[in-house]
Amino acid sequence: MRMLMLVTLLACVGTSAGYAQGDSASNDASKVVAMEHVWAQAYVAKDPKALDRMLDPAFVCVNSEGRSLTKAEVLADVKASTATQVLPEPMAVYLHGDTAIVTGTFRTKGIESGKPFVQHERFVDTWLYKNGQWISIASLVTPTGD
Amino acid sequence: MRTMGWALILVCATLFSVRAQESGEGSIAPSILVLEHAWFDGESRNDNRGLDRIFDNDLVYIEDGRTMTKAEYLLRLKLATPHPYQVVLEATAVRTFGSTAIVVGTYREKSLKDGKTSPRRWRFVDTWVNKKGSWMLVAAGSSLQSK
Repeated sequence: MRMLMLVTLLACVGTSAGYAQGDSASNDASKVVAMEHVWAQAYVAKDPKALDRMLDPAFVCVNSEGRSLTKAEVLADVKASTATQVLPEPMAVYLHGDTAIVTGTFRTKGIESGKPFVQHERFVDTWLYKNGQWISIASLVTPTGD
Repeated sequence: MRTMGWALILVCATLFSVRAQESGEGSIAPSILVLEHAWFDGESRNDNRGLDRIFDNDLVYIEDGRTMTKAEYLLRLKLATPHPYQVVLEATAVRTFGSTAIVVGTYREKSLKDGKTSPRRWRFVDTWVNKKGSWMLVAAGSSLQSK
């Protein structure tokens, strides 16, 4: 499950030579990290509206079970979220011109079928600057194995 | 895990369900798929130099829940101990967004350990970015498919 949330995250920003640097890179990194927060909030609140605007129509997600999900399926997952708490951990942002790669881990607590669960997962998301805004075009989530 | 052994890697040359999306950019998909094959092939031959050319310096690689840098990836490949191993690339789809391409696909892995085969299927997402005319791998990760 792809759930982060509102707690402060540490964002490390890397930029490739010849691409966005300095304040601009920092601003872009802050924006995509902020959107990761919104994404997380969506899961906690079970509200897919905000996420709908952040995902490209061709968005694809591979979840921690190795399943490929479309945007519509991810939004349906948000509605059905069972997370009660998400503990985010440091994220790193790498900018490559109009493309941003965000990676990090998060720990999710929730209740499913009456039983509590805890998941620790790592993700890598791809964001694209398109029509004046950052949108996500791909995401991969996998268990950390902890 | 795509970075393990290099003694026996069989890459299925025929890709199924290859799709190029986004109008007018269909010619990019074949180029990206050639690079995906070059990656597998580079591993099979322990060709660090070849992979060095297609991996971006800021590559983010996720395998078995761990993050690996380009340097770590190449070092591990260099030090890898040969062991019987087989990877078959399966359905692969390429989506292009201008100078960015997303590849989603699956591969089967059959490793031999203590005389026993251990088949596993992974689904992966790779991100390629065109930099100065060359497509570079900037992010890649795979997730084990649940049975």
